[in-house]
Amino acid sequence: MAQSFLPHSAQSGADTKTRGEGVVMAEMDPESATHTEAMVEEEEPFFSNLDLFLFSLIIGIIIYWFMSRKKPEPIPEFKKLDTPAPTTRETSFIEKMKKTGKNIIVFYGSQTGTAEEFANRLSKDAQRYGMKGMAADPEEYSMGELSRLSEIENSLAIFCMATYGEGDPTDNAQDFYDWLQENDDEDLSGLNYTVFALGNKTYEHYNAMGKYVDKRLAELGAKRIFDLGMGDDDGNLEEDFISWREQFWPAVCEHFGVEASGDDSSIRQYELKVHTDLNMNKVYSGEIGRLKSFEVQKPPFDSKNPFLAPVTVNRRLNKAGDRHLMHLELDITGSKIRYESGDHVAVFPTNDTGLVNRLGEVLGVDLDVVISLNNLDEESNKKHPFPCPTTYRTALTHYLDITNSPRTNVLYELAQYASDTKEQENMRKMASSSPEGKALYQSWVLDSSRNILAILEDMPSLKPPIDHLCELLPRLQARYYSIASSSKVHPNSIHICAVVVEYETKTGRVNKGVATNWLKNKLVNGHKSTVPMYIRKSQFRLPFKATNPVVMIGPGTGIAPFVGFIQERGWLKQQGKEVGETVLYFGCRHKNEDFIYQEELEEAEKNVVLTQLNVAFSRDQEQKVYVQHLLKKNKEDLWKLIHSDNAHIYVCGDASHMAKDVQTAFHEIAEEVGGMTRTQATDYVKKLMTKGRYSQDVWS
Amino acid sequence: MSVEKMETTSMSNGAANAYEEKENTLSPEDLSEMLAAGTKEVHEKAENTQFVKDFLRGRIRKELFKLGAVALYHTYTAMEEEIERNKDHPQFAPLYFPTELNRHESLARDLEYFYGPEWKSQVSCSEATQRYVDRIHQVGREDPVLLVAHAYTRYMGDLSGGQVLKKVAQRALKLPPTGEGLEFYQFDGIHSAKAFKQLYRSRMNELELDVDTKKRLVDEAVKAFHFNMEVFDELEEMGKTIQEDVLDAGMPVHGATGGDISKCPYYAAQMAASGGTAYACQLAMAVLRHPTGQVLVATWFAALAGLVAWYLM
Repeated sequence: MAQSFLPHSAQSGADTKTRGEGVVMAEMDPESATHTEAMVEEEEPFFSNLDLFLFSLIIGIIIYWFMSRKKPEPIPEFKKLDTPAPTTRETSFIEKMKKTGKNIIVFYGSQTGTAEEFANRLSKDAQRYGMKGMAADPEEYSMGELSRLSEIENSLAIFCMATYGEGDPTDNAQDFYDWLQENDDEDLSGLNYTVFALGNKTYEHYNAMGKYVDKRLAELGAKRIFDLGMGDDDGNLEEDFISWREQFWPAVCEHFGVEASGDDSSIRQYELKVHTDLNMNKVYSGEIGRLKSFEVQKPPFDSKNPFLAPVTVNRRLNKAGDRHLMHLELDITGSKIRYESGDHVAVFPTNDTGLVNRLGEVLGVDLDVVISLNNLDEESNKKHPFPCPTTYRTALTHYLDITNSPRTNVLYELAQYASDTKEQENMRKMASSSPEGKALYQSWVLDSSRNILAILEDMPSLKPPIDHLCELLPRLQARYYSIASSSKVHPNSIHICAVVVEYETKTGRVNKGVATNWLKNKLVNGHKSTVPMYIRKSQFRLPFKATNPVVMIGPGTGIAPFVGFIQERGWLKQQGKEVGETVLYFGCRHKNEDFIYQEELEEAEKNVVLTQLNVAFSRDQEQKVYVQHLLKKNKEDLWKLIHSDNAHIYVCGDASHMAKDVQTAFHEIAEEVGGMTRTQATDYVKKLMTKGRYSQDVWS
Repeated sequence: MSVEKMETTSMSNGAANAYEEKENTLSPEDLSEMLAAGTKEVHEKAENTQFVKDFLRGRIRKELFKLGAVALYHTYTAMEEEIERNKDHPQFAPLYFPTELNRHESLARDLEYFYGPEWKSQVSCSEATQRYVDRIHQVGREDPVLLVAHAYTRYMGDLSGGQVLKKVAQRALKLPPTGEGLEFYQFDGIHSAKAFKQLYRSRMNELELDVDTKKRLVDEAVKAFHFNMEVFDELEEMGKTIQEDVLDAGMPVHGATGGDISKCPYYAAQMAASGGTAYACQLAMAVLRHPTGQVLVATWFAALAGLVAWYLM
C-alpha cells in the first residue's frame, strides 16, 4: 500500500475525491512516504482503478472502525430490563399450545416452588408417552380459555395445586380461584383434566385447594380422567407424587388410546451396560452401601452399613401345630452396637434362591452376567437403581423385591413385551383407570397374590428383557422386628421372636415370606450364616421409675418386646430396686401348642417379677377367647391400676384387629367402672396416648 | 424458632356424672398439660412475629438464616452443657435423651457448611442470644429443675412445627436435597416424632414435683418463649441492614443470557412470531454485533462504494 502513496497528497487534506486514500494515509501514517511520481504519470488508467479499489477498501476500514467503536453502546440497553413488559406476550395458552404443538398443559399453584417443579417434571414426562407438554403459571394466562382446550386433539390439563395457610390458594393461583368461584355458568365439557394436590396433613385444611379445583371443574362439566392425587408434606411429598405419577401416565395412555412409545422401544430410565472383563473385586455381591463393606466391617453400623451378626440360637418356639414360630439370637459382640428394650432390629433379607433361578429360566437368561444400569438423566442423584456393577443374580437375590404383587405401572411398561394380543390387552387394561381394569387388577393380581414370577408363568407370551424388569421392580426393603431381650441382661445379644409366613394362594401356589423364611433357614454358628442388621431406636420404653405399674398386652409374636421388659424388671429387682406391678396379657391358639415362652413366663411369675400372667387360649374351647375378653374380666383391677396408680399401658402385635379391639375394651372399662360416657371414655384413652401412658408397637 | 402445634384434645364437658365428681389425676396436674396450657398464648405470639411469618411464606434470606443458625448453636450448646451437668439430677434424669435430642453437633456441621472450616472464628453470640444463654446457664447451675422448661420449649417445638420449617427452608434457600445446612432439623435417632413427644410427656409427668414447682416451670417456659422472640426480633433488625440478595431470581428465564434480552431464545422466538420487519431488524442488529459480521458488512460496503465510484468515473 505504501507504494502507491503520492508525496503531494500528504499536504492536500481537503481533496478526497481522487486522492482520498492519500488523505487517510496521511492521518494514519504521516511518516511513510514513497517516491512513485514516475509511476503516476505513466499509468493513469491503472492508477484510477487502483484508486477506486483503495478508496473502497479504506471506506470499508472506516466503517469497520466505526462499528468496533459502537460496541460499548449495547450496555445501556441492559437498564431497560428492569421494567420488562414485552407487549407482545402471549396470554392465550391455547394459541401457545397450538403454535408449539403441545397437547398437554400443566398449571401450577405454587408458593415455594414445589408445585412448579412437579409441573415441569410432568410436562417433560409427556414426551415419554409420545405427547408434548408445557408447564404454565395460571397467573400469566387467561384461564377463561379452559373450555377451548377441546380445539386441541387429545388435550389434557393437569393441575398441580398447593394449598397455603388456612386452605387458601397460593398467590399465583388467586385469580384462577376467584374465576372458578364466580363463573357458575361456565361450560367446561370439552376439558379433560386431573389434579395433584400438595399440602400438609398437620394443617386443618389439608389440600383444600387441590380438592376444590378437582371438585369444581367436575361441577362445571369437565371430564376427570384420573383420580385426585394427594401429596402430604408431613409424610413424603415426593413419594406421593411419584406413586401418583406412575399410575397416572398409563391411565392417560389408555384414555387416549396412545401407545407409550412411538416405535416398539419404550423410553427407559436406565441404560444397560454389560461388563465382559471386570475384576470381581469391583462387583457388588449384596452390600447395601460401600463396596466390600460385608468383608471389612467398620463401625458405626446403620442402615447404609449393617453389621453381619452371627446367629447363635435358632429354635422353634411352638410345641406343635402347622405354623412355625421361632426364637433367634444374634451375636453383636465387638460391634459396639447398643440397644434398649423396646427397640427394633432391622434385618436385610435375601430372596429364595429357587425363586431367583426360576425367574432366570422363565426369562431365558444367564443370571451371572455382570451388568450396570446407568441413569440416562445425568443430572439425577440416583446413578443406578441398585448398587452397580453387579450380576442379575445378585440383583434379584439381594436388591429387588420379587415377591410382592407388582404395581400397575410395572404391568403397563411390560405389556409391550407380550406377543399375544389378548395378553397384551389385559396387561394394559389392568394398568388403566377404568373400573373394569381396576377390578381385573384387583382380582387377577392382588386377590390371587400373583407375584412377578406368577405373572410371567401365567402369561407365557410375555417375554420382557431382564434389564428392563430390573429397572421396574422396587427395592427389597429391610424388615423390622421388636427386640425380645433386655440389654441389661443380654448386652451382646439381640433376640428375635417371629412367625414364618407361608400360605397357599388362589392359584394353588405357595407364597413364602422373604425375611421369615430366610431367618428360619439360618444355621446356628454356620459359616457365612450371618444376619446383616442394625438397630432402629423406638419410643416404646419402660417407665423411668421401676415402681410405676405396667400393663402389657401382646398376643402371639406381639409378646416380643415384653419378653425384654420382663427380663429388665427382673434385673432391676435383682439389683435390689423396688419394682411395681408388672402385668401381662398374652394370647395364643392352644395351650399345648403355641404358648411360647411358657417356661420363662412361669418362672418370672414364680419370682414375682411378673405379678400377673393372664393368658387367653382362643381355640381351646368352643367360643373364641381373646386378650380383650380377659381385660374385661379384670376391669376393676385394671381401672385401679390405670386411674389411680398411674399405670402405663403397652400394646404390641396385630394392628388391624387386636389393637382396635383392645382399645375398645379400655373404652368399655372406663365407661363401666369409671362411670364415663362413650365420648368421655374415648377422650380419656386418647389423652393417655398423648401423654405417653398408652403406647402401641403394632404392625399389619 | 419454636412453633409447636397444639396436640391436646379438649376434654368434653359432660353433665354432672360419676366421672366429673371423681378426683381426676389427669387434667390439671400433669406437668405436660400444664405446660401446654400455660404456653398456649405466648406460643401464638411467637408464631405471629414478623420473622416467623415471613419464614413460613418462604421469605427468608440466606444471610438471616445463617445468623439464625448461629443463634441456635449458642443456645443449644449452652442447654446441652447444662443438661449433661444435670443428667443424674432426680428432677431432670427421666428427660435425659442425648442420643435422640442433642443438636449442638448438627448445628456445628451446618455452620461449617455455611461459613466454611473457620466458622468458629467468624461467628459471634448476639446480645439477645447471650441473654438467653446466660439464663440457661444460671438455671442449670442454681435451679436445675427449671431446665425442664427450656428443654420442653425448644425440643418439643423442633419436633413439631420445626419439621415444617425445614422443608420451607430447603426450598426457599435452594439447599441441597442431601441435607447439608439443615442437619439441625434432622433427628436421626427418632423414628417417629409423634411417638417421641408422647414418651417425653410421659417422662415429664413422672417427675416428682409439687404444685408450686410445676407453676414455676410454666413461668420459666413462658420466659423461654420470650427469650426466643427477642432473638427473632433481633434477627429482624439485623436483616434490615443486610444487603438484599436476590431470593427468587426475578427473571430466571433470562439469567443465562447475561441480561441481553436479544440473546433470549424465547424473546427471539417472540420477535419472530410477532412480525417480519421487526424480525429483520433484529436479525440485522444481531449480525452487526458479531465481529465477523462487521467485517463482511464493511467489505460489502467497500465493494459497493468502489462500484459506485467506478461508475461515476
